[in-house]
Amino acid sequence: MTRRAVVRARSQAAASSAGGCVVEARDLVRSFGQTPALRGASLSVSAGEILAVMGPSGSGKSTLLHCLAGILVPDSGEVWFDGRRIDTAPDAERSMLRRDQFGFVFQFGQLVPELTAEENVALPLLLGGIRRTKALADARQWFRRLDLDGMERRRSGELSGGQAQRVALARGLVARPDVLFADEPTGSLDSLAGEHVMELLSAAAREQGTTVVLVTHDARVAAYADREVIVRDGRVNSLARGGARP
Amino acid sequence: MIRLSVRLTASSGKQALIRLAITTAAVALGVGMLLVTLAEINAINAQDARTAWLSTGMPGDVASSQSPVGSKSPAARPAWWLFSTDYFGHLIIDRVDVAATGPGAPVPRGLPHLPGPGQFYVSPALARLLRSSPPAELGHRFPGHLAGTIGSSALPAPDSLIIVVGYRPGQLSRAPGAVEVTSIATTPRGNGLPGYDPTTLLSILAVAALALLFPVLIFIGTATRLGAARQEQRLAAMRLVGATARQTSVVAAIESCITAVGGVVIGFGLFIVLHPVLQDASFTGVRLARGDFSLDLADILLIVAGIPAAAAAAAHLGMRRVRISPLGVARRTMPSAPRAYRMFPLLAGIGELGYFAIAGHPRSSSGQIEAYFLGFFLVMAGLVIAGPWLTVTGSRIMAGRTSRPAALIAGRRLADNPWAAFRAIGGLIVALFVTSVSAGITTTIIADRGSSANGVAGSGTLADQFITGESVSGKALTAVAAVPAAVLTGLTSIPGIRGVTVIHTNPDAVTSPGQNENDMPGLVSCAQLALTPAAGRCARGAAVASITLDLSGAATSGSQSTTEWHGAAMSLQRLQRLPVLMVIVGTDGASAVIERARTALEADFPYLGPPAVLTTSYSLSAYAALQRMTDVVIVASLVIAGCSLAVSVAAGLADRQRPFSLLRLAGAPLGLLRRVVALESAVPLVVVAAISAGTGFLASALFLRSELGESLRPPGGAYYIIVLAGLLGSFAVIGCTFPLLKWITGPEIARNG
Repeated sequence: MTRRAVVRARSQAAASSAGGCVVEARDLVRSFGQTPALRGASLSVSAGEILAVMGPSGSGKSTLLHCLAGILVPDSGEVWFDGRRIDTAPDAERSMLRRDQFGFVFQFGQLVPELTAEENVALPLLLGGIRRTKALADARQWFRRLDLDGMERRRSGELSGGQAQRVALARGLVARPDVLFADEPTGSLDSLAGEHVMELLSAAAREQGTTVVLVTHDARVAAYADREVIVRDGRVNSLARGGARP
Repeated sequence: MIRLSVRLTASSGKQALIRLAITTAAVALGVGMLLVTLAEINAINAQDARTAWLSTGMPGDVASSQSPVGSKSPAARPAWWLFSTDYFGHLIIDRVDVAATGPGAPVPRGLPHLPGPGQFYVSPALARLLRSSPPAELGHRFPGHLAGTIGSSALPAPDSLIIVVGYRPGQLSRAPGAVEVTSIATTPRGNGLPGYDPTTLLSILAVAALALLFPVLIFIGTATRLGAARQEQRLAAMRLVGATARQTSVVAAIESCITAVGGVVIGFGLFIVLHPVLQDASFTGVRLARGDFSLDLADILLIVAGIPAAAAAAAHLGMRRVRISPLGVARRTMPSAPRAYRMFPLLAGIGELGYFAIAGHPRSSSGQIEAYFLGFFLVMAGLVIAGPWLTVTGSRIMAGRTSRPAALIAGRRLADNPWAAFRAIGGLIVALFVTSVSAGITTTIIADRGSSANGVAGSGTLADQFITGESVSGKALTAVAAVPAAVLTGLTSIPGIRGVTVIHTNPDAVTSPGQNENDMPGLVSCAQLALTPAAGRCARGAAVASITLDLSGAATSGSQSTTEWHGAAMSLQRLQRLPVLMVIVGTDGASAVIERARTALEADFPYLGPPAVLTTSYSLSAYAALQRMTDVVIVASLVIAGCSLAVSVAAGLADRQRPFSLLRLAGAPLGLLRRVVALESAVPLVVVAAISAGTGFLASALFLRSELGESLRPPGGAYYIIVLAGLLGSFAVIGCTFPLLKWITGPEIARNG
């Protein structure tokens, strides 16, 4: 059994024993200089759940996502993943966590420009120590799944915005992470391309049981989520869910 | 527009200011080096000008009226003049024998008057040497007593060894080679004076300056790319609000000018601060006199006006290549990927040198110069032309096979823009190639002349040649009819002398007018020759052998030092009656013995020029200067190449800070990004250094094989130490960018980038 598989098994076991909660934030406070971004934000995300974090610009939703992912350390409060407290973990441990168990999709500019699309997708696998041939083979499977056939050898500059974002999505999911953090994944796309990306994202996440924390200010994007919360003035409020998932 | 440009430059954010600072530092470095080069050229020219009086009476000295010995001139000539070059150990002594024929005799600068018979003037350095050396080794060569010292205005350098010896006109007029002169030369001949060959020194300096300035220019070019993307955004924003293309071009030019002016000011400051140190540093091996290492007004104006103008022109040309539209960079001309045909000049150069190594070198000197110059030029230019193709080929192989993310990213980046990767190290190619060639050639020559078994014998053997001209039929004329027995006894009585061989004229030899005097045929007693083995040996059973005067050739290489001379049909008794062409003195190699023998020969055979050691090392002084210069060049250019690489790396990081910071957020360890940076910069550096050094040694091996018939010897430890130190210095500079990596890939970049 590979290290990744062991970690995954442990993670799933811990998630079940903790009542399905994979990621949890408790009373997070984080300021940038004199500007407070989070003022006691609390949140929990269940295993396999797709959670949309909404809110206006500057509300602190991206900061919350970065704290949940171990990118930022809160000034106070706690962040738990998999039954482990990660906000007090050393940087190296958090880096390993992000590499092995988290995936990321951002708004733009996330592809390494010199690499081909398939090499970009294979990068997390190569980082995990998988051989080149296998990593590229695994990466190529995602091209078919994400309607990117024929784009394998293209560079980021040769892809449209929607294609580049789907490549980024493939890169975020290729290592089968426990949690995918997506920060405005459709923010730079038109509505049609955005919907296409979200359809693929939600389908792929559900298919492999990946938990998704999705930051967006777009209600149409949030509609793909199982649950929505809203961040306002650095605090998290639950949002009653109306319509059905598209 | 200018004020707006200045304000924009001053308030364009931290990244733009860093870019300005680095570019200014690069320009300052370039200006500093340019100033040092100009000052050094001025110093060499000043030294050269002070050697002019030593050229008096030489062919080409149009200022002097001259007539060689034997020609009768109806007009009275005020002074007899004879210049020669003497040696003491590895030191060169310029000697002028002079005899005033009247009170109007011309007097060189630096002397109060011409020395009278039995007097001599010496340079201060020679005065010190005379005081510290036993008279039998040096002082007895110069007849008379010290009348005074030569002033600094007649000394090329403070350490110059010069003597002016006075004679009676009747004495000197009989000396072979003495000429009558009416004035002192004021124009240097530019060559012919051992130790002061400005042509060679300036050539070496020119190559060194080029080898240094090339990396500096690359450094400046690389620095201007730092933050170029941000500058383009700024200019695009200006275009959006109505600025014309010409106006944006002016903004870019002003920014470049500000950098250039700052660099010029700092460069002059560096030159002034380092002036005392640089003045005492001997780049060419000759210590400089006070005031020689200086700049004239034209130099200063050239730098002050030329550098900013060149910077503005470069910025203007750059803006033509990158057209800024209101929506950003509209067009950037990118060359297509390099092709394999770029290897052609390199292979052609190696092929040309290889051909001469196999088929033998051209017969004429001019043919050899043309052949080798073309070969070396093709190889050097070929390395620069082939570099991008080699870079892209190597990086494609690396990226195509690796499973390591760092190697993959680095390889793809190198393959993506091999021009940029190679540009940063292009200067290094030239420097390392020149260094390797000079190290290979000088090591081999010095080793073959100084350390082989026969070389040792040669280095302890003196040859004193007495040829004064040639007859119409080409026979050598000599001033020495016979070597008196007392002279031979005196020489052999010096402790450490192993034998004396006398080479006589060969009356039966067929010669042609204009024949090289080194090829002049002579006859030698085999019994004597056996005591001076560096001159070769006789065929078995011969009592007298035919020999040529090319003895230094016989002793310079292992293959020729055992030269066997054919026997001649001549009796020993008849041989002794023939005029003498040369005397060879074999010693135990001790410098004191060599100098005593040399002094004795000079005293016994005055005016006939000093005896020379067979495997002379004086001619190696040019190689030594070249070696010293290339040592400086290689260390400096390696460090500059490291700076270029560091800036290039920083520029590359700035271009990719968002994807890199997102990679880091996604869990890629900082170590991975460091490995990417290290591979991107260190791999081309090491690979190119290896290829360049290897090609340099190959070219020098082919040259040595074809020209001298010798095999390349590995360079000494100093070469490896210098190259290693330079590479380590470059790696250290590259390592300095690692903290920058952590800084620019922090979470804030991903959030705000």
